[in-house]
Amino acid sequence: MSRTLYRCLLRLHPREFRRQFGGEMLWIFDEASGTDHRFLYSVMFFADAIRSLARQWLLRSGSWKIAVALAGALIQVTIGGLGHLLFGPLSQHGTLRTANAATRIDLDALVRIGIWSVSGIVVSVILLAVWVKKFNARRIRAVHL
Amino acid sequence: MDTDYGRFLPLAPATLHILLSLAREDLHGYGIMQEVARQSDGKYKLGPGTLYDNLQRLMDQGLVDEAKRRPAGEDPRRRYYRLTPAGRGVLASEIARLEEVVHEAKLRLRLPETRRAT
Repeated sequence: MSRTLYRCLLRLHPREFRRQFGGEMLWIFDEASGTDHRFLYSVMFFADAIRSLARQWLLRSGSWKIAVALAGALIQVTIGGLGHLLFGPLSQHGTLRTANAATRIDLDALVRIGIWSVSGIVVSVILLAVWVKKFNARRIRAVHL
Repeated sequence: MDTDYGRFLPLAPATLHILLSLAREDLHGYGIMQEVARQSDGKYKLGPGTLYDNLQRLMDQGLVDEAKRRPAGEDPRRRYYRLTPAGRGVLASEIARLEEVVHEAKLRLRLPETRRAT
């Protein structure tokens, strides 16, 4: 039961990491399960696997860039939409006070919000990619032998 | 040959323990975990996730390598790791750095006693 659960946690890791170390990690779990302190080891291994899962996906795999881009997009769309509702033509004509204000947003305004949001995302991703590339180049300077 | 090991220092505790455990002989993952626990009298326990995350990074940096030799009849999932010459150099640099820290700490801790004695 616990082995199946641990195996499931390993399967949730990024494919490259799983391919390289998954078999060994499961083998270590099997070895530790045969000792006297198997309950303690199981607790420790599960906690470690969950931490490892977060570390591999958020820090090592680069998926955090997608998460940041999505969060950025969400923030920009929200700010853009709110800004348009508060300071755009709808607020000036007082249509916000009407019940069907949302239906008055014209297509042009939505397209503008969309264009600004997409442009913002593209710029954010480019800046982030440049920064990550520089950061990695500084961090991983392999020793040439 | 690039021998500027200072860029890798100071080492994180997990990295230091892993390099130290591989200093004497090639070990597999479970062997490294047991050796780290032995070195620290059981106070510092590495989990497999932490171990392999560090090993992956150390292999990317060229400090640890997978050993080719494998005892006959062993579980094929069991892989051995070895310290590269660069890894040994980094470990030696870190030990020298720690010796300086310990020396400095001893000097500072001794000062009040010396003053009291005089």
